[in-house]
Amino acid sequence: MMKKLAAIAFAGVMAVSMIGCSQAPAEPNTDSTENGTDSSSVAGGGEQKEAASSTGVTLEFLYNLNGEAVSDAIQEVCRQFTEETGIGVEAVMPGSNFSDIMKTRMASNQLPDVWTTHGWAVARYAEYLEPLNDFSFASHIAPSIEGQITDENGVLYTLPIDMDLTGIIYNANVLEEAGVNADDIQTWTDFEDACDKVKAIGKTPIQMGGKDSYTLGNMMDYVAPTLITNENEANQNALLDGSFDWDNWNIVVDKINQWNQNNYFNVDAVTADFMTGISALASEQAAFMFTSASGITETYVQNPDTEMGFIPMPAREDGLQRSLMTGEHFAVGMSNTTKYPEEAKMFLEFLAREDICAFLATKCGMPSGLDNVTSDTGRLAPFYDKYANDAAILNIPYFDRKYLPSGMWNDLCITGGTILSGQADAKTTVVNQMRTSYEEKKAQE
Amino acid sequence: MKKQHRAMINLFYVPAIILFVVFVVYPFLQGIRLSFTNWNGYSQTMKYVGLKNYIRLFQDANVKTALINTLIYGIMSTVIQNILGLAYALFLNINFKGRTVVRTIIYMPVMIAPLIMGYIMYFFFQYDGGAINDILIALGMEPADLLVNSGAAIAIIVIVNSIQFVGVAMVIYLAGLQNIPAMYYEAAMLDGATFWDRFKHVTLPLLMPAISSSTILNLIGGLKLFDLIMALTSGGPGFSTHSLSTLVTNQYFSAQSAGYASAIGIVSFLLIMVISNVVTGYFDKKEVDTQ
Amino acid sequence: MKNKKAFGIWKYLLALIIIVLHFVPIYMVIAITFKSPYDHSSRWIFPGYVYLKNIQTALERGGMLMALKNTVIISAVAILFIVVIGAMAAYPLARNKSRMNHLVRGFIMGVMMIPPLSILVPLYSFMAKIGGINSYWGIIITLVTFQLPTSIFLFSSFISSIPVALEEAAAIDGCGPFQTFFRIIMPQLKPVTASVIIITGVNCWNNYQFALYLLQSPKIKTVTLAIASFFSADASNVNGAAAAAFLGILPLILVFLFLQKYFIQGMVDSAIK
Repeated sequence: MMKKLAAIAFAGVMAVSMIGCSQAPAEPNTDSTENGTDSSSVAGGGEQKEAASSTGVTLEFLYNLNGEAVSDAIQEVCRQFTEETGIGVEAVMPGSNFSDIMKTRMASNQLPDVWTTHGWAVARYAEYLEPLNDFSFASHIAPSIEGQITDENGVLYTLPIDMDLTGIIYNANVLEEAGVNADDIQTWTDFEDACDKVKAIGKTPIQMGGKDSYTLGNMMDYVAPTLITNENEANQNALLDGSFDWDNWNIVVDKINQWNQNNYFNVDAVTADFMTGISALASEQAAFMFTSASGITETYVQNPDTEMGFIPMPAREDGLQRSLMTGEHFAVGMSNTTKYPEEAKMFLEFLAREDICAFLATKCGMPSGLDNVTSDTGRLAPFYDKYANDAAILNIPYFDRKYLPSGMWNDLCITGGTILSGQADAKTTVVNQMRTSYEEKKAQE
Repeated sequence: MKKQHRAMINLFYVPAIILFVVFVVYPFLQGIRLSFTNWNGYSQTMKYVGLKNYIRLFQDANVKTALINTLIYGIMSTVIQNILGLAYALFLNINFKGRTVVRTIIYMPVMIAPLIMGYIMYFFFQYDGGAINDILIALGMEPADLLVNSGAAIAIIVIVNSIQFVGVAMVIYLAGLQNIPAMYYEAAMLDGATFWDRFKHVTLPLLMPAISSSTILNLIGGLKLFDLIMALTSGGPGFSTHSLSTLVTNQYFSAQSAGYASAIGIVSFLLIMVISNVVTGYFDKKEVDTQ
Repeated sequence: MKNKKAFGIWKYLLALIIIVLHFVPIYMVIAITFKSPYDHSSRWIFPGYVYLKNIQTALERGGMLMALKNTVIISAVAILFIVVIGAMAAYPLARNKSRMNHLVRGFIMGVMMIPPLSILVPLYSFMAKIGGINSYWGIIITLVTFQLPTSIFLFSSFISSIPVALEEAAAIDGCGPFQTFFRIIMPQLKPVTASVIIITGVNCWNNYQFALYLLQSPKIKTVTLAIASFFSADASNVNGAAAAAFLGILPLILVFLFLQKYFIQGMVDSAIK
């Protein structure tokens, strides 16, 4: 036995001695207090109060927000809630299978008491969510998100702790080096000029992480509305009533195909993962990425010394408006079949409390979804200030959530990969798949 | 043995059969029912659509791709694992110092969960900082994006799966080899048989039971391949590396066509069953022939 | 003689190549585990320093200790049932060569071939109804059910090779079938039991698909879930993920090293007949 272990260890040592060893690198000093907010004490200082005695009730709270800082903040808020009320909260982040797990639980009618609705409060979860119109925060929902979390009868389904305001993120240092002024990018032609300039300095114009297929879906979701639906009511109506002519989709495919042929994307656009992309932007090797502003926060975690920003989606031609997408980011709804309606209600009210909501939205680096709460968006603040009140910028919902039948997000992700893989019949494959899937799903509605 | 005794021992089936009926057969029948609906996978409402899902399935080009890939994953993994596993077994059947170490190390990867193996293998094949590309760069070559080409990606999946699980085939063959009485070889040696003759006329026929179990086991494993594909390519680019089982997941959850996904699941179950039965039947016949 | 010596060297060279090929994935996990996240050297290169922070991260953030405890409990209990119920069902399968047994064999084979996802949602709904979600027994029962076919086949081919004479003698002495099974058959199954434990135990330990859906509370997470969530949620922390994988694989390899002698012997004895 020992002899075997020794032999295996020996084999390992042999391998090492053949290749050599690396030296210990210097580690950047990552002291959490540097970030200004000490995660151990939520604003308001709950720990000074006497802890409430346990009620024996534990709420199950499923959330899908990644990143250590946000996750820690959520756990901390839940702890404080338990201290104040004696109601336990088990906050669980199930990982990248979040929506699959939620679907299984809906199918079995076994929902958690409270969960994050990630953009689907109305379209997918409404059947299972408690209307929130009677809650104290219902009158404070920010107008720009209200339309997307209420149904046509005005029923409110989720508490928007913060909200997405999404454009294309970029590394300012790379653009500066390439001689591009981000504010000059008004149309896709301007954007393509910028890409050419970035390519000229030997860096990647557009970074993709296609192994995580949602990044491909994002790309389609970002580009499509500017070409198809923005300021085009005929197409909007056609998409919604099922009469859309999918030959029009060629415009979107051609645009992305053109970028691909111009080598704007990273070589491993289809096989890299999202985090590789974030690293590329953080290390100033790539300029643009089609991802929401939370991507910027991730970039700063890896390299606090770089300079990031985001621009609205360019317009398809001169004279048309640029656009930004708004949607849920960290939004929480409660089950309409929970065993603990009172406790869940208290939890939602607690999350909506000004200090708690501000603390969470700040940790996410996003504007708050409640108009009585201001969050500190840190280094992103100038961008939110610049775009939020700019009437020249169209505020649009996410393309797939608004115009495509539920379930077609999958087709956007897959066809995005087909285009970038550059296979010969990509164009017809993509348009056919979109058309077939659309007709299939429309027929079922 | 007494007839009564024989009948009585059938009672020993009971616990196993109860588990199978409650936790496999019942859910499986539910799955069959779902395959005739247009269920989206989460709503409390669904409509029966008859055979529509099955008709759609036979016209769906993506199902065809997944079917072909499933057969490639299943058959190629089986072939590689059996040939390599038999070669390893023959090699380790030679008495030399340290062969147990070799045997142990060949079997070790079997103990890594396929999903985790997939993640580890992504460290190898990834373009940016991947271990393979580090070697290519060190040799002065251009780094390659190995997983973008669907042919290469399928080959990589087959090879990784085969190398990981070749230990199982090896152990089965080792066991088979050690059960071949030495006197057969001695007799063959006396007749002046060459190594190849002995392999062909003594080893192979007597290994038939081992070949049969190893083939069936690897075939089922390969046809059901799932985790590794999810970790390496998630079925992409496009639908090009999907197997039937990953396609079921994709259609079930992402595409929200649970009814359709159930139909694909049923068809893939039938496919695995038919293939395994044909192969088992073939080996049963072969074993009878050689006896 | 000369020829033989030459083969001797080739033997070891071949052995070395095989070892490298199969050890590489594990080597890489170890190398990344003990490397600082800020060490950007090639993944082939082993760290030339001692760095344990990744292990610490895996234990603290990944909750690997709790996951290990859960997995040990779940696997151990599941294996116990897999062995007992499997050996029981294997007994009539090996002894009664009737038409019905042929059907039973086919049925058990069929269970092996069902793609887990095609029954996932119905199984989940049923488990939810009987309160098996987030419980040890729910996942254990599922694992036992799906590992039983393997166990039954291994046991039945082994029992086929045991002479019937002993049982007949016992029957003449007035032993009922239960006594015969537990007194005569069970004690003879030791060698093949090691194989069953290793093969099905590895599958229980590594199970991902069922655990993912049936175990959602962090208190009851298993090792594979903990590792997988490391790879997906904190995808930026490759080193922490590798450390989690290392901690998850290590116990299995140690157990295997201790059991492998019996394992190979058990496989030889059951002889896959």
